[in-house]
Order: sequence, then structure tokens, then C-alpha cells
Amino acid sequence: MRSSPVQALCPMPPRGIEVLGISKRFGATQALDDVSLQARGGSIHAVTGENGAGKSTLMKLMAGLFMPDRGALRLNGQTLQLGSPAAAQAAGISTVFQELSVLPTLTVAENMMLGHEPRRFGLLDRRAMRARARSVLDRIGLALHEDTLATELSVAQQQMVEIAKGVSREAQVFIFDEPTAALEQAEVHKLGQLLQQLKAAGKVVFYISHRLDEIFRFCDEVTVLKDGRLVRTQSTASLTQNQLVSLMVGRTLSTLFPPRREKTAGHVATLALAVQQLITHAGAAPVQLRLRQGEIVGLAGLEGQGQRDVIRALAGLQPPVASQILRCARDGSSAVYDPGQGVAIAMAQGIALVPEDRKAEGLCLGLPVDDNVWLGLLHGRALAARAPRHAGLVQNLMQRLRLRGSVQGQPVASLSGGNQQKVLLGRWLAAGIDTLLIEQPTRGVDIGAKSEIYALLREFCAQGGAVLLTSSELPELIGLCDRLLVMRGGAIVGELPAAGATEEAVLRLAMTNSTIHEVSGHDGVAVEAGA
Amino acid sequence: MSARASRSMPAAAPLKQTLPAWLLSPGLPREGLGLSTWLLPAGLVLLLTITTRDFLQWQNLANVAAQVTALLLVSLGQLPVVLVGGIDLSVASVISLTGALMATLPNPWAALAAAIAAALATGLVNGLAIVRLGLHPLVMTLATMTVLQGLCLLLLPVPGGSLPAAVLMLADARPLGVAPALPICLGCALLLGLVLRHTRSGLHLYAVGAAPRAAALNGLSTSRSTVGAYVVCSLFGVLAGLYLSARIGTADPSMGAAYALDSVTAVVLGGAALSGGVGSVRGVLSGALCLGLLTNGLNLWGVSPFMRGALTGLLLLLAVGLQRGKAAH
Repeated sequence: MRSSPVQALCPMPPRGIEVLGISKRFGATQALDDVSLQARGGSIHAVTGENGAGKSTLMKLMAGLFMPDRGALRLNGQTLQLGSPAAAQAAGISTVFQELSVLPTLTVAENMMLGHEPRRFGLLDRRAMRARARSVLDRIGLALHEDTLATELSVAQQQMVEIAKGVSREAQVFIFDEPTAALEQAEVHKLGQLLQQLKAAGKVVFYISHRLDEIFRFCDEVTVLKDGRLVRTQSTASLTQNQLVSLMVGRTLSTLFPPRREKTAGHVATLALAVQQLITHAGAAPVQLRLRQGEIVGLAGLEGQGQRDVIRALAGLQPPVASQILRCARDGSSAVYDPGQGVAIAMAQGIALVPEDRKAEGLCLGLPVDDNVWLGLLHGRALAARAPRHAGLVQNLMQRLRLRGSVQGQPVASLSGGNQQKVLLGRWLAAGIDTLLIEQPTRGVDIGAKSEIYALLREFCAQGGAVLLTSSELPELIGLCDRLLVMRGGAIVGELPAAGATEEAVLRLAMTNSTIHEVSGHDGVAVEAGA
Repeated sequence: MSARASRSMPAAAPLKQTLPAWLLSPGLPREGLGLSTWLLPAGLVLLLTITTRDFLQWQNLANVAAQVTALLLVSLGQLPVVLVGGIDLSVASVISLTGALMATLPNPWAALAAAIAAALATGLVNGLAIVRLGLHPLVMTLATMTVLQGLCLLLLPVPGGSLPAAVLMLADARPLGVAPALPICLGCALLLGLVLRHTRSGLHLYAVGAAPRAAALNGLSTSRSTVGAYVVCSLFGVLAGLYLSARIGTADPSMGAAYALDSVTAVVLGGAALSGGVGSVRGVLSGALCLGLLTNGLNLWGVSPFMRGALTGLLLLLAVGLQRGKAAH
């Protein structure tokens, strides 16, 4: 296995990893189709593509989670046979999985040494274990104690422990699978430093991410996959963000967002939700906002400024301390809405939530797509009432959502993030909801599905629906919404039309008091200071 | 690999601890020890000393020791299973079957070999079915428990039969003052404690129990740990079966039945989490002692023996409930 006669003739085997014509099929899906790439030691290599492009499959093959159907992996010129995670680790490949593999009840040192524990007379040598963990932690500059339990670590620190684990195994290849999905900015920075250290030490680093800015910030080369096939490998220096996106989806960023609704002069849109007063919890500032039919309003601001509280209170999930809300349905009826009465009443009033954590709070993962949509149609019926299947309606909706017929019977757990989000939206569209409250509309969704979801929301608004949403991605808020309400410290501190808004203007409102007037001085930017 | 290079250190420090120091040290969170681990048995001893006249009598203490020995043997086996997030009910039938085999087969060595073979097979079948087929441990071990119980009744429909002298020795306190089973049992406890704390297999049991998928991603073999745990549990069942039949002086085809729930209760009382990954030998010592003291107390207080089963069930609910409550905060 180690060296073949042919390689012996070759004086200098290439340093790094080579993927040679790898194919992998799961059932009917060709996850990878004849993919080849090369990554040199001492470089950071991004692998990107839409969800389902095959990048995770490729990385899992390298991590030993399964074998390729065809093709080979070579590390420093030697062919690898990876049939298990243990084999991959022994070969010098270390993976920081998206689902972290840090064990909560073990200490940092135990986690780092797991699977290759130092032993003495057949027993664990704890002293050596801690000493070795300490030296690795010091070497990569991590301020963690080796005896700390992993449960006490933040997600970022757990990732650092994963990296330390790879370093302690003297791995040659490091694979990072969407490492920044759960990280704060400062932690992303720290991760970036560690990546540079690994690079300087001559390691091969694979970096899988959808985040364009990180690909350009951290990586030397980028490989784009689409539908399991290799699109291209190119150096990041020779690419712009827009070029990279068009490689991924064949469309440019500017067409990602659908056009906004045309404003007709003199026409005043009907209100959908008039929140005169909403106090989400004791001591919180009262919030006042208006949502009109046919518009998408974004709650902007830094993270954790009360956007989530407002959405959750309006959805009936967190009973507010006080509320005074009027809601108007598309059929012209209006009523006082009390979100304190809970989710069922909210839905009966035509208000529904698309939560951030769609797997835990939105979908029934084990049920197929049609049943998940169907659930929305049954709302408000008596428990013993007949439940018509509405097969035609669901079929129709699936077409509108561009969910292929083949996925209809599949459990939603097996769908990509984008398709799951579409199913969730579809449930409320089918149920005839008037007002959608959405947290992070496209978290974990690939770019292609993103634009479809945006178009879907616009279509919903064109039919008189109203959307109130939060997002931690500012470009998304600016591109998608009609108006932005900027929140700070639980209060709405400013409002501006999204068309023409810049990230800078929103951030200034979100971060400081004094700039409100400056912003209001801009042409066509109306500011309405909140209470 | 490179682990053994550059090592010229003295022997691992924790091994030098004295026995009392080890018993009282607070331990790691994954050992699930708390104040109650020590206070609960101590409180029960105090309560029994105050409320009954006979508790401190030599005869009564010997009785408690005998009861705890049997329970401890089963609970020690149950511990690794609970650590990997499982539960083994079939150990009850392994106990009964061992007794039945010893009493019915003419050659004691053949009987012992048959009992061990049956236990190995049970553990392997349990573990493999749970790992490979993904059966729920409760369902799987309930099934094997029922199968073995049936075989056992086929072999020995009513209590009876005579046991080899070497087996009877186990429970005979006359030559030494204590039954030889007690030191054997404590030796097993020490050995298991050593394995859990100071070997890779022990560490891997904790890892696999805490997060099986993460353990697999780290290159550990979840099946090896799980199957191993069930095999160990069944083997402890054989030991317990030998001792229990020695105590009764004959074999009883249903003598193990109560030990399925009792052993789980003792392990959970000792701080182990049924979700896996948390537990320790010290905890099991405490849990088994508590359950033994409680049984003895009910006896001395003149409570109906049938109440004992009801109380054990309640105790298990209480222990699990308290754990869940703690985990929620």
C-alpha cells in the first residue's frame, strides 16, 4: 500500500493531496461524478458550491466515512485506502466536522488524545496525555486548560479543540466543513489565524464554505463543484466575488433579489399589522411598528438587539407583557390581535412564524413533504374532523415551490436546507396565512435556493401578504426588503427604505444615537425615531 | 505510536491513591458523583441504627452484606451497559439460568462452562443486535430475558437440585467470618473501577455513551464498546447466579427476576445517567448499599416484603426524575 514500483521511479512525489477521478453514487443520486483536484501543502484550498453540489460528500470521502465507487486519493504520491474514520486519521487526515465531534463529558486533553491515547503498561498514561495536550495547546496559542471539560467550552473553543486534536495527531491534511456557521466575528478571526499557522506549517487545508468573503479572505485556491461535477479550480486572486458566484450558479449577485413592488403615487396600502404597543418582556422598551399589505419589512440591527423577541412575541411564542395590536386580513376584515393567547390563536388570525431553527421548531423531520404542507391545511379543524388530503393543492404548491415530484414522498429530513425552507414556507402559503414572520429566511440555504425563496416571498406579497423578518445578513435585508426598521437595545431607533440603503447607513443607525439625524439628511431617507 | 517515546516518568500518579482517598475523592463530572453518593447510605445507616434495635446486630449486618453482595455483582455488570447508553434486563435470566445449570448438570465444570457459554452468547447477541440491527436495548434484552427464562424453566420447572460443594463455599461464612463472595465481589469492583478509569476501553465506553456519533467520527469502534459492555454484564450475571444459588443452597428458576430492575435502580441511584456516558463504580457501590439497607430496613420495620418491589420502582422513578431535573437546569 505504501509505495508502488512506479512511484519509486518518480524522484519527487508531489507534496499534497490529489483527488483522481472520484465518483460516488447514493441510490439515484450521483453525488460526485469524476471529480479531480489537487491541493498543495502550505496552501488553503476552498471547496464551494451550492448545497447538494457534492462538496460535503467529497470531504466525507477524505474523512473515511465511506469509500468512493471509482477513483483514488493520493497523499504525497501514495494512494490511500480509507474505509473508516480511524483509517483516515491514521493516514494523517483530520476533519473538523460541521457537527462537532468533541465529546462533552471528556476533558480537553482526553478529547485531543481520543483514539491515540498514550499508554503505560497497558493503562492510560494520564500524565503524558495532559503534557502532550498542553504542549500542543501552547504551540498553537490556545488559552485553554487541558483539564477543562468540553461541555464548558463555546462552540468556537470546541472547534479549536478539534484543530488541536488534528495537530496532536500530526495530521498532514486538515478539512474544515463550514467551520464558521456558528462563530462570532472575533472567533472567525481567531480561526483565520489558526488557518494561517497550519498553512505556514506546510499542511494541506481544505475549507468548505458558502461564505464568499471568507473564501477570499482565507483561501489561496477555490474549487467550485456543481451537481457533483467539477466546475473549475482557480486561484482566488484571479477571481471576483461575482465571478465566483456565477461559477457556482450561473447568475450574478445583482439578479439574486427579485424587483421590489412598484410604488404607485397616491395609493395608500392597507395595513396588515398595526402594532401600537408591544412590550416583549418586563423592562423592555415599547415597540411600535406598522406592516402594510404587500410589503416586506426587515428588522435590522446588530445581533441580539431585540429583533428576535419582537418576532417571537408577535408569533405568539413568547407572551408579551403588554400589547395593543390591530391586524387586517386580506379579505378586509380586521380584529384586535392578542399575541399572548398563543400560537394557535395567532395562526387562526392569519399570522405564522418561520423559525430560525426550522428542524427543531418548524418541520416534522420524519414526515414527507406533502404531510408537512398538509399540516398547515388542517389547522383549526376539530380533532375528530375528517382530514381531506388536498392532494391537488399540495401538488400544485410543490410545483410553484419548484420541489421536484421525486421528493414529495421523502422525509423532509433528507432534503437540503433550501428545500426544507421551501416546504415550511409552502405550508403557510397553502394555509392562506396573511402575515409571515420570518427569522433568518435563508440560513443554511444555498444561493440558488435563496433566490427562489426571495422570489416566493415577493410573490406572496404581490398577492397582498405581508412579511416581517429578521436576518443577520445585511445585504439580504437591503436587497430583499421594502423598509428596514433598525433596532438597538430592544427599541426601534430608526427606519429607512431598503432601496438605496447602504450597509454603512444601517450600521450607523444600529450602532450610534448621534447619527440618526445625519442619515435623515440624506436624500429620500426618512427617519422616524422610535420611542 | 510516538506516545511511548520520551517517557521516563514515575508510575501514573492516580494509582498511588489509598483506597479511602479514592472512595472519597470528588471525581470527574462524568462519574456522576454528588454529595448524595455518600450522604444517602450514611443517612440510611444512621436512620436504621436509631429506629431499630437489631440493625447493628452481627447477624443482621451479615445479612445486609449478603444481600448487597448479590445486588452489587449484578449492578457492577449493569454499569458498563448503562455507560454506553443501554440497559440489560436479560441479566436476570442469566442469573436464574446459571443456577439451573449448576443444579441440573451432573459435572460441575461442564455446568460452569455451559453457564459461561450461555452468558457469552447472550451478551454477544444482545450487543450485536443492538449495534447492527439498531434494536432498542429495552426491546432486545426483554426478548432475550424472556427466551432465557423459558429455557431455564424447561431445565428446572420448580426450585430444587443440589449444588457442587465449591459453589456452596461461596456463601459460607464459617471458615473466614465473611462469605468468600464478598471479597471476590469487592475485588471485581476494584478491577472494574481500574478498567473504567485507567484503560482505553474505559475511556472509550464513556465516549461512546456520551455521543456515539462523535465517538465514531473520532475513529472509535462503537460496536466494540457496546458489545463488550453487554458481554461483561452477562458474565457478572453468571457470578451473581453462582452466589445467589449458593446462598439459597439450591437453584430457583426465578431467583434472578427481581435483579433486572434492582440493578438498574442501584446504578441510577449511584448517579449514572440512563442516557449514557455518566456513571462510576463508586456510585454503584453507594447505590447497591442504599438499596440493600432499604430492603433490610423494610424487614426490620415489619413492612410487607411486597412493598419492597413497589418502593424500588418508585425509587428508580425518583432517581431518574431528579437527574432529569438537574440536567434541565
